[in-house]
Amino acid sequence: MNKISNLFTRHFRNFHFIFIILTIVVLFAGEKMINPFLNQAVATVFYSPFSKMKNSFLELKSVSEDNALLSQALIDVSMKISFYEEASLENERLRTILGFHPPQNYTLEPAKVISISGEYTPITATINKGSNDSIWIDQPVINQQGLVGRVSSVSPDFSVVQLLTDPSNRVAARVVASREMGIVKYNTNSGMYLDNFPIQGDIAVNDKIISSGLGGVYPAGLTVGTVTEVIKEELEPFYKVKILPASNFYSLEEIFILREIIIE
Amino acid sequence: MTKYIPYLLYLWLIAMHQVFLADVTSIFGAKINLAVLIVLLIAMYKKEVTATWFGLLVGLIGFAGITEISAWQTLAMALIGLIAFHLKEKMNLDSLFARVSLIFGGVLVHNIILLLLEVNDNLFGSIIQYAITGAVYTTIIGTIFFLIKDGIFTFEKTKTIF
Repeated sequence: MNKISNLFTRHFRNFHFIFIILTIVVLFAGEKMINPFLNQAVATVFYSPFSKMKNSFLELKSVSEDNALLSQALIDVSMKISFYEEASLENERLRTILGFHPPQNYTLEPAKVISISGEYTPITATINKGSNDSIWIDQPVINQQGLVGRVSSVSPDFSVVQLLTDPSNRVAARVVASREMGIVKYNTNSGMYLDNFPIQGDIAVNDKIISSGLGGVYPAGLTVGTVTEVIKEELEPFYKVKILPASNFYSLEEIFILREIIIE
Repeated sequence: MTKYIPYLLYLWLIAMHQVFLADVTSIFGAKINLAVLIVLLIAMYKKEVTATWFGLLVGLIGFAGITEISAWQTLAMALIGLIAFHLKEKMNLDSLFARVSLIFGGVLVHNIILLLLEVNDNLFGSIIQYAITGAVYTTIIGTIFFLIKDGIFTFEKTKTIF
């Protein structure tokens, strides 16, 4: 045993080179048999972990790129959906307007609301039509729901509409069912109400209130609102009548100015 | 047994370079030949048998990820390790130029062998385009290694530049 050990130690270098040469000879000889197996083993031990890491990294990079593209696409689609929803709502409104007819002896001048002002409730609305479009002060303004207000000031391209929610605005009105009259006013605290309606009068909840045509500004028959509450207070000669306005003053978009047809 | 761990790590480093870094660090097709660089460094600083065995293993393992195992590759790498060891015996290894020349020569020879094994046409063009440029690139990396190892290029000295 010692002899073999001594032999190995003495010829250490030669033994190694014999092994090296043998390994190379085996690789040359077994090119088709051993090498594919060896290649597989080496690839599994040394390359596979790094290949997997590389693939994961590339996949992550690709996912990140896809994510960026999809986010952009999502923004585009969201914007399109928002645009289509807006177009759909506008379409709905315009369809309603198409079947809308003005009172007798009046024509409709369509306009768009470009701004609304008022601290708590909308009081005035600016529209995109002015004196260049034959808009004048005191022309009544309506929308498909009912009376909105009247033109209070005019410039060449814009006009300001005083809404029914302005406490200084008044509308001579009547109850459709009983034909009895009162004055519609607006109070910032209690909302729209019918003033000066005598307790002898006939009025009930859900009665429709329309303009009476008296006062010279608003033509008769324009819907003002619906009675929501009738309160009789002791020793008061008038009812306290609360009204729900026909128009939603918080969402005004398309309105119409009533232009009187002057018959000569 | 633990003395073999560094060699195993070198082999993994070579495998990682082949998979990850070779393409990323290539400049106009010139790649760092890390496998030969490490074999040459082993030949410079270790024994003859170690250099030859490591050359053989690098030939066997170092290229399995990119091509089929080739007996010629294995033979070439083992011979590069062996020859580099004997050349280094005749050289003054204190000289940076001598070490750099050995690296350049070894890498160039290996790159040419690779091209001889793989490229069929326009060998001369490929030698200029890939073998020489790759050898220069690898030599630069080798030089940086020697500069760091000799303490000429240190972090403190780099900081003073800025």
